[in-house]
Amino acid sequence: MSAPHTASTWRFAWQRLRRGWASGELRVLVLALAIAAAAAIAVGLFTDRVRLALEAGAGEQLGADAVISGRDPLPDPQMAALRETGVRIVSVTSFPSVVARVDGEDTQLATIKGVDTGYPLRGKLLLTREPFGATETAPPQPALGEVWVDLRLWTTLGLSPGAKLQVGTAALEVTRIIAEEPGRSGSFGDLAPNLIVNAAALPATGLLGPGSRLQISLQLGGTRAQLAAAEKIELPPGFRFTTPESAQPQVRNSMDRARSFLNIAVLATILLSAAAVALSARQYSQRLRDEVALLKVLGARRAFIRRGLVLQVLMLGLIAGGLGAAVGIGGQAVLASLAAPVLKITLPPPGLLPLPAVLGLVLLMLAGFALPPVLAAVESAPVRVFQRAADREARGVWGVAAAVIAVAALLWLQAGSLKLAGFVFGGALATAGVLALFAWLLVRGLAGIRARGGIAWRFGLGNIARRKAAAVAQIVALGIALMALLLVTVVRQDLLATWQNKLPPTTPNQFLIGILPDQIAPLQAFFKARGVPALTPQPMVRARLTGLRGTEVNAESFEDPETRRWINREFNLSWTAAFGDDNEFIEGKPWGDEARGQPWLAVDDYAVERLKLKLGDTLTLDLAGTPITLEVRAVRKIKWDSFKPNFFLVTPPGVLDAEGLNPPLQWIASFYLPREQRALLRELIREFPNVTALDLDAALNQVRGIVDRIVGALEFIFLFTLLAGLVVMMAVIEGSRADRVRETGVLRALGASRRVIRQGLIAEYAVLGGLAGAVAAFAAQALAWALAAGVLELPYGPRPLLWLTGTLAGAAIVTAAGYLSLRRVLNTSPRTVLAGAA
Amino acid sequence: MSADASETRTAVIVAEKLTQKIVSGGEQIAILDGLSLSIRAGETVAIVGASGSGKTTLLSLLAGLDSPTSGTITLAGRSLASLDEDGRAALRAGRVGFVFQSFQLLAGLTALENVMLPAELAGRADAEALARDTLTRVGLEARTGHYPYQLSGGEQQRVAIARAFAAQPEILFADEPTGNLDAATGSKIVDLLFQLNRDRGATLVLVTHDMSLAARCDRVLRLNAGRLE
Repeated sequence: MSAPHTASTWRFAWQRLRRGWASGELRVLVLALAIAAAAAIAVGLFTDRVRLALEAGAGEQLGADAVISGRDPLPDPQMAALRETGVRIVSVTSFPSVVARVDGEDTQLATIKGVDTGYPLRGKLLLTREPFGATETAPPQPALGEVWVDLRLWTTLGLSPGAKLQVGTAALEVTRIIAEEPGRSGSFGDLAPNLIVNAAALPATGLLGPGSRLQISLQLGGTRAQLAAAEKIELPPGFRFTTPESAQPQVRNSMDRARSFLNIAVLATILLSAAAVALSARQYSQRLRDEVALLKVLGARRAFIRRGLVLQVLMLGLIAGGLGAAVGIGGQAVLASLAAPVLKITLPPPGLLPLPAVLGLVLLMLAGFALPPVLAAVESAPVRVFQRAADREARGVWGVAAAVIAVAALLWLQAGSLKLAGFVFGGALATAGVLALFAWLLVRGLAGIRARGGIAWRFGLGNIARRKAAAVAQIVALGIALMALLLVTVVRQDLLATWQNKLPPTTPNQFLIGILPDQIAPLQAFFKARGVPALTPQPMVRARLTGLRGTEVNAESFEDPETRRWINREFNLSWTAAFGDDNEFIEGKPWGDEARGQPWLAVDDYAVERLKLKLGDTLTLDLAGTPITLEVRAVRKIKWDSFKPNFFLVTPPGVLDAEGLNPPLQWIASFYLPREQRALLRELIREFPNVTALDLDAALNQVRGIVDRIVGALEFIFLFTLLAGLVVMMAVIEGSRADRVRETGVLRALGASRRVIRQGLIAEYAVLGGLAGAVAAFAAQALAWALAAGVLELPYGPRPLLWLTGTLAGAAIVTAAGYLSLRRVLNTSPRTVLAGAA
Repeated sequence: MSADASETRTAVIVAEKLTQKIVSGGEQIAILDGLSLSIRAGETVAIVGASGSGKTTLLSLLAGLDSPTSGTITLAGRSLASLDEDGRAALRAGRVGFVFQSFQLLAGLTALENVMLPAELAGRADAEALARDTLTRVGLEARTGHYPYQLSGGEQQRVAIARAFAAQPEILFADEPTGNLDAATGSKIVDLLFQLNRDRGATLVLVTHDMSLAARCDRVLRLNAGRLE
C-alpha cells in the first residue's frame, strides 16, 4: 500500500465517520459498545482492587502476609535462609499460663504473648486506657515492665490502670486494654483471655523453662516474590507455613461468589449491548449500500472501500472504548465506595490489568457484530445506482457464524469458566425464550383493546402491532434488565420480610458457649433473677470420626472437598431424650428416656449427604482417646432458623456421658434478650467470665450489611444492563425513524395537531414499556415463587403491587427514553409527504 | 392574474403575490415569484409544468403545509398568515383532503382505520360510518380489516382516495395521483377520483405531469419558472 493511498483511505474513513455520525445508527452503536465496556471495566477494575485488597485484608486477619509456626524456635539454617529472602520478620512467642493480680487472690488462665518490635506486621493493634474508651494505635511493642491485657482479663481480675499483674515470677504494670487485635478471630477455640508483653521481658518471668507449651510464630511481610521464596524454604517437621488463603478459604469463596454475580450482570449487559450493536450495524449497512454502489460507479475499488470501512469501524471502537473506559473508571469508584464499609479495608488504587481485557471485549464485539454487516455493504452492486431491486443482498452465513463465535468468546472471556458461561448462556436463552413467548401473547392481545380509545391511542398501538417482532425484541431486552433490577431490589426485600415475619418475635438472639457443667444451675438462677425465660443448655462433646460402617476412615478416604473439611474438624455431638419441634424426622423415630444408654445416633440430612449414611450404618468416634461405635437409628432435618442449638449428630443420654468416659464437655444455650435488657450481658461476663456470649442480632446485622452492599453493587451494574436494554430500544427506533418521519408528515398534512401525534408516541412507548415491566414483574415473581417454594420453604403468594410497580416503572422509563429519542420527529413538516418535496 | 372582488366571494383558495425563496449555495433562488391565483368552490384545477417549475411548492403553500416567504393565502375563508402550524393543521382537519403520489397510508392502521383518520381528526363522532360508506363507494368493503401491505398498489390508492373523501372535505389536493400506478390502474383511479368529486361537490386541485388527466379538469394552470403562464 503506497503512502498517498493510505492517506486517502484514512481520509475516506474519517469523512465517512463524520458524516455517518449524523445518522442515528452509528451513535447507537457507539453507545452500546461504550455501555458494555463501561460495565466490564467497572467490574473488572473493582474486582481486581478487591482481589489485591483481599490478599492484604486477609493478611490483616492473620496479622501478617504469611506465618511460619512451630513449637520450637526455627533452626538456624532455615532462619538464615528466611532472612536471605528479604522478608520482614516479627517473632511472637505465646503460651498459656495462670496469671493473677499481685494484690488479689483471683487467678486466671491466659494466653501470654511475647512480641518483637513491630507487632503486628499487618493490620492495627488498637488499645484503650479504660474499658470501651477511645482507641489509639499501639506503639511497636510494650515497654519492658508493661503488660497490655484484653477486656476479658481486665474484667475477670477486676484490674485498674496501673495495677500489677503477676506473670510467672515477674510483676508487670497493666497500662492498656487491647481493643482490637489482628489475628484474633474470636472463634470458639480461642477462648482464653489474652495479654501482650515485650518479648525481652519473657526470660524474667521464668516461664520459658522445660515443659512450657510454647507456640512460636514468625510473622512474615514482604513482596510476593519474597514471600514465594520464603514459602520454598524446606521447613523441619512440626513447622507450618500459613498464608492468608490457606487460613481463610471462606473469605475467598464468598468473594468469588460475589464476583460471579457481578460477572453475570456484566454478561447480561454485554449480550444486550451486542444485540444493539448488531441491529444498528445492520441498519447502517443498508444505508451504506447506496453510497458504496455510487463509489464503485465512480471507480473506487473494493479493497479501498473495505479498508476504509474497517478503519471507520476501528475508529468507532476507539471512541466507544475511550468513552466506556471513562465511565467505567467512574463506575468502579462507585462500586468501591459501596463496598468499602463492609470490606473494612482501604482498596489499593485501580491497576491497569483489566484494561487490555476490555479492549479485547470491544474488538470482539466489533468483529462479531459490527464488521460483518458493514463489510457486507462492500458487495453492493454498482447497478443499484439505477435500480435498487437489481442489487441482491447475499444471505450472510459468515455474519451469523461470526456472531455465534463472538457470543461464545465473550461469555468465556467474561465468565472465566466454561461452566458459568454455559450456565449464563443457557439461562439467558431460556429467559429470553420465555419472555419472548409471553411478550408475543401480550402484543397479540393488544388488538382487543386497540379499538377502544382515541386516535392517538390507536395510532400508538397500531405502531406496536405493525412491528410485532421489533416490539417483542424490545420487550425482551427491556424485560430482562427490569427483571434483574426487580429481583435484586423489590423481590429480595419481599422474600427477606416474608422470612422475618415467619420467625416468632421471641426467636433467640443470643448464644452462650463454653458453659461448664457446674455453672448450669447458677446460670439458670442468674437468668431467673433477671426475668429472662428459663434457659435450657444443651451438652456439647467433641469427637473425631475414625470409622464408618466398620472400616477405618480419615479425611483422605473421601473425595468431596466439603466432606474432607468436615471430617478434618472435630464433630460436635450432643445428647437428648426430647427432640424439639425444630427437628423433623425423615426416617426412624425420635426417642425418649427409654433409649438411655443405647449406642444410637440420630443424624441430620447434612451428615447423610456427606457420609452417604443410611439407617443401620455405624460410625466409630474417638472421644478424647476412647473409641465408641454408634448406630444410625434416625435421620432428621433441622430447621436452623429456630436459632436454637442443634447438632448434626445426637445420641440418647447416658452414652457420651457414660461412666468412665471423660470427654471434654461444655454446654451451650440460646435465649431471647430484648434490646433494652442488653446491659445484662455485661453482668453475665463479670459473673461467668469463661462463658462467651455471641450476639446473633449483631452477627445477622453484619451478614445483612454485607449482603446489602453486594446487592448494592449488583443493582449498580444492573443499571448498565437497563441502559443496554434501552439502547436496544433506541436501535429499533433508529431502524423505524424514516417511517416515523413520513407518517408524522402524513398525519400533520391530514390535520393532526402536534399534541395528537405526541400522545400517540407516548401511548406507544407507555404500552411497550408497560408490557416490558409487566413481563419482568411476572418473571421475577415466578422466580421468587420457585425460590420460596423450592429452596426457602416460605409461603409466597402473588404480589399484585409488584406487577403494578413493574408495569408503571417500565412504562415511565421507556416512555421517557422513547420520547427523548423521537421528539425531533414531532417537528416533521407536513410538506415532506409531497412527491418531489425535499 | 389578479382575483377580482366577485371571484373572492365564491373563491375557496386565494393566493396573492406569492413568493417562495430558498437559499442554495449562498444564492437566493425564487421557486415561486409573485404568483397570484383564485380557485372557486367546486372547481377542478390542474397545475402542470416541467420538473422544478414549482408545482409541488405551490401545492404545499396552498394547502398550508408550508409558509410562503411573502404574499398571502386564504384557504376556506381563513387567512393562513394569521395561523401557526397547529392552527393550519386544525383548519385542514376534516375540511381539506389529500391524495398523494405514494399513497402515504399508515402501515400500522387497517384500511378502515386509515380512512377514518381525517374525520376523527376533525372530531366527528360518525367517523367509522363515514369511512365504511366511502370504502364501499370505492369497492373495498370486503377489505376494511386489511393492512396496507396486504393490498395491491391500485387498492392502496383507492384506500387513499377513500381517505381523502371520507370526511367530506371542501377542498381536495391531489399530488401526482397516478404517478406510481400503471396506465390501466391509473385511469381507473382517475375515473374514481372525478366521480367522487362530482358526487361530493368538492374543489379539486391536482398536480400532474399527465396532460390527459389535466385535460379532464375545468381549468389548467401552467407553471413556468415560478410564474403562471
